[in-house]
Amino acid sequence: MSFLKSFPPPGPAEGLLRQQPDTEAVLNGKGLGTGTLYIAESRLSWLDGSGLGFSLEYPTISLHALSRDRSDCLGEHLYVMVNAKFEEESKESVADEEEEDSDDDVEPITEFRFVPSDKSALEAMFTAMCECQALHPDPEDEDSDDYDGEEYDVEAHDGMEVDTTPTVAGQFEDADVDH
Amino acid sequence: MLFYSFFKSLVGKDVVVELKNDLSICGTLHSVDQYLNIKLTDISVTDPEKYPHMLSVKNCFIRGSVVRCVQLPADEVDTQLLQDAARKEALQQKQ
Repeated sequence: MSFLKSFPPPGPAEGLLRQQPDTEAVLNGKGLGTGTLYIAESRLSWLDGSGLGFSLEYPTISLHALSRDRSDCLGEHLYVMVNAKFEEESKESVADEEEEDSDDDVEPITEFRFVPSDKSALEAMFTAMCECQALHPDPEDEDSDDYDGEEYDVEAHDGMEVDTTPTVAGQFEDADVDH
Repeated sequence: MLFYSFFKSLVGKDVVVELKNDLSICGTLHSVDQYLNIKLTDISVTDPEKYPHMLSVKNCFIRGSVVRCVQLPADEVDTQLLQDAARKEALQQKQ
């Protein structure tokens, strides 16, 4: 796996919330082996026995979930959908890769599954991830309260009565709010 | 905070969350936070062929920033009230 790197396991400095040993990692259906999952406030990391692993940044994690289907070949596990592409050993030739470039228009999706041997830990793993996700909201929020800093707005509204009832029909219709 | 309060009022209702990556997830709204991160229970994916791994998922946590839109039961929403509240909040943000 070309994307696996060697790095020290996260510790208290990274806000480690939960460490789950004996956890298998599966990337898009391909098993990466058994290692330890580290759920830290800064990022989600997984390291195998040889110290190789990967980290996921919470802003790239679209969703995470618990899979409770025991008849699934993996058993109960933590499912994580990531908005990023992870390079696997390419079996395709270079020519095929050029075709795949057109997929760049579509948002990349990578599915990770973390299978702990201790199934009773799944609930806590899910909850820890929820807590960490909440610590990483998107910085570019269209509805941010940055208006507070804009002096010219304060000046303009000095002495102006703000009446929420439109005196002119359709007064607010022109406001184009981009979502 | 308007939409945070708005979604809180819909907890327990069935919704469909459409993500920016075109995945649609149907489920019961369990909870929402100030960033509009959404927790759904009893979920089903509208396109299971594309995401077979999600078939066995019952509960999920969706990051607010990846949500494109949320489909709501029409009879649970007072659109007039929502529009008025949105206008009020927009005005207040400009002060």
